[in-house]
Amino acid sequence: MSELFVKEKKLGEGTFAIVYLGKKKQQEGEPKDEAYVAIKEIKLDLMKQSDTGDNMGIDISAIREIKYLQELKAHDNIIKLYDVYSDMKTNSINLILEYLPMDLEKLIKKKTIIFNSMDIKLIVLQILRGVNHLHRLCIIHRDLKPANLLIGENGLIKLADFGLARTYDDGGINSHSNLTNNVVTRWYKAPELLLGSKNYDFKIDIWSIGLIIIELLIRVPYLPGKDDLDQLNLIFKVLGTPSEKDWPQVKALPNYNTNLYMYPKPNRQEWRKRFIAISDNFLDLLMSMLEMNPGERWDIVRCLESEYIREFPRPSDQMELVRLMNE
Amino acid sequence: MSTTSSLKKTDKSTTNNALYSNQRVTDDDIFRNSSQFSKWSFTKQQLKDIRQNLADETLLRFQEKLKSYLAEHESDNFLTDEEKEAISSEFELGISSEEQLQIVSLYAQKVQIFCTKLKLPSEVIATSIIFFKKFYITNSVINLHPKNLIFTCIFLACKSENHFISAETFASKVKQDKQSILENEFKLLESLKFSLMNHHLFKPLHGFYLDIQSVLYGKVDKNYLGTVYEKSKKMLLNSYLTDVFYHYSPPHITLTALILEDEQLILKYLELKFLGFDPLTPEEKLNESQLISKKMYDTLMKTIENCKQDLKTSLLPDRETAWKIDARIHYFLDPMSFIKRFRAQKESNSNSNDASDEPDKKKQKIE
Repeated sequence: MSELFVKEKKLGEGTFAIVYLGKKKQQEGEPKDEAYVAIKEIKLDLMKQSDTGDNMGIDISAIREIKYLQELKAHDNIIKLYDVYSDMKTNSINLILEYLPMDLEKLIKKKTIIFNSMDIKLIVLQILRGVNHLHRLCIIHRDLKPANLLIGENGLIKLADFGLARTYDDGGINSHSNLTNNVVTRWYKAPELLLGSKNYDFKIDIWSIGLIIIELLIRVPYLPGKDDLDQLNLIFKVLGTPSEKDWPQVKALPNYNTNLYMYPKPNRQEWRKRFIAISDNFLDLLMSMLEMNPGERWDIVRCLESEYIREFPRPSDQMELVRLMNE
Repeated sequence: MSTTSSLKKTDKSTTNNALYSNQRVTDDDIFRNSSQFSKWSFTKQQLKDIRQNLADETLLRFQEKLKSYLAEHESDNFLTDEEKEAISSEFELGISSEEQLQIVSLYAQKVQIFCTKLKLPSEVIATSIIFFKKFYITNSVINLHPKNLIFTCIFLACKSENHFISAETFASKVKQDKQSILENEFKLLESLKFSLMNHHLFKPLHGFYLDIQSVLYGKVDKNYLGTVYEKSKKMLLNSYLTDVFYHYSPPHITLTALILEDEQLILKYLELKFLGFDPLTPEEKLNESQLISKKMYDTLMKTIENCKQDLKTSLLPDRETAWKIDARIHYFLDPMSFIKRFRAQKESNSNSNDASDEPDKKKQKIE
């Protein structure tokens, strides 16, 4: 199996994994397949000799990535896992993934590119579709950020990096909630996580998408906190400190501090001043995605069914994104 | 895969496109796109064939082992003809597909017992058992004795179900050597075909619990339904020890358990849910849409009937059978142990003629 792919060059390196650019090996009698793949090699030896000397077995983020990607092969807006194989020679697990050279972070930073409102909608719609598929399958991504939204050569946006994903256990008479709040890269972290909630849900992903969309509009991170405390403060400063009226259970959260400075909640006019160029419906969508109280925050279906998605203009063709990328 | 036929009305074949078009994605589509369906669902014949192939390979290895063992003692007159004959007939048994299934089921039950002792959530228990059973779909018990896989399965299931325990803590909790737990983790993951997601039965159970209340509103006592729920849950936990999860979708298995708990109630629910008329109404009196519903209902009933049988079939061996299989695994690893036992037995037989012919019980080193 491992003989089917060749690793051509190293693309990146993490704690336990190395990502290579690869190609399918040419088989006798078969036409040459020129398509590139990304090969994520997860080293088992490295786990054994981690710094602490504590052998944990197969790394949990590798397990999550394998577990979820196996179930997500059928959606255009999620990175495809073609195959998994174990390589006894190098004592590693190899994930054969779609090779996606571009990501949204790079695209946002490329200041020569100018997005029009149709391009923005194309990107937003694809993110929402990918996340909808996840949420439909009861999976929370827990690390949505521009760098994890990859872009294919055909202009399709693809959700990647499922190392923090988990299934949402929504029910059963005996269900138990004890989720870790140490997830999501800080700038995209929802307030309930920062406040130490352990029974959050899909809405944390919605918050992240809201901030990603704003970053797409203003081309810099909207809420770049220096640490978790600063992040929370920044959120409150910009979006208002939640009172019990807006969010009845907020005071019960572990990190809620009663001495918080009560910043006022920005009204619609204030929002309007911040984002002059977008439509009213788009503004509604953003305000609803960044609702402080997760209970009030829109879910993914509501976002997809929003007036912004329905109204004109239609999203641009994905080839437009390809053109922009190559500019 | 007809046995995993759909519960839903829309039994259309799912293609990749269906997930990206305007069509609504049903729960059934989701299941059909899952790795549980594509990699780990079999017809009964398929499963039988897979198991038979494994048993055939196992027998070949027994025969090879026997051959080399006999060759070793070819010239040293260590073995009598009687002993040669005895070991040959023992090794010719191999481990049949039925025996492998029996011994694996027995140890799967031990997995369940350990999990319960560790107070793990239902999902982790179920996943541990599934991992354990799947491993032995492609691996013979003579490759790795089932007792050596128990904790690896539980440990990986904990990680996979997000119920994280560090290897250190886990090892000390179950009083095992950490290395022995981690040693086979990779092999296990590979044997699972890297497919870790299990669509558990507890979610559909909760769904039916809610739906029965709304469909039979005012006709069913909530406390009583709660009892049915708890009892069915127990049955569902034990269903993981049978083969049902290879053959039926989770809602089918769940409905079957509910029906076994209270047939009258659940039939009433299904009737109202899918028919809205008496299922005994003669076909000629039904209109077109009623006929379609009736057909669907009948298919569902047939699936449940089949599933009922499988759910009630215990795969567990009796004690003596279990002992015999366990002993044979041991003989394969160490043929000398068979000879030793044969000699000891012969001796005790000649010493006291009324000695029981039951083999001396070597107690399993499992608490």
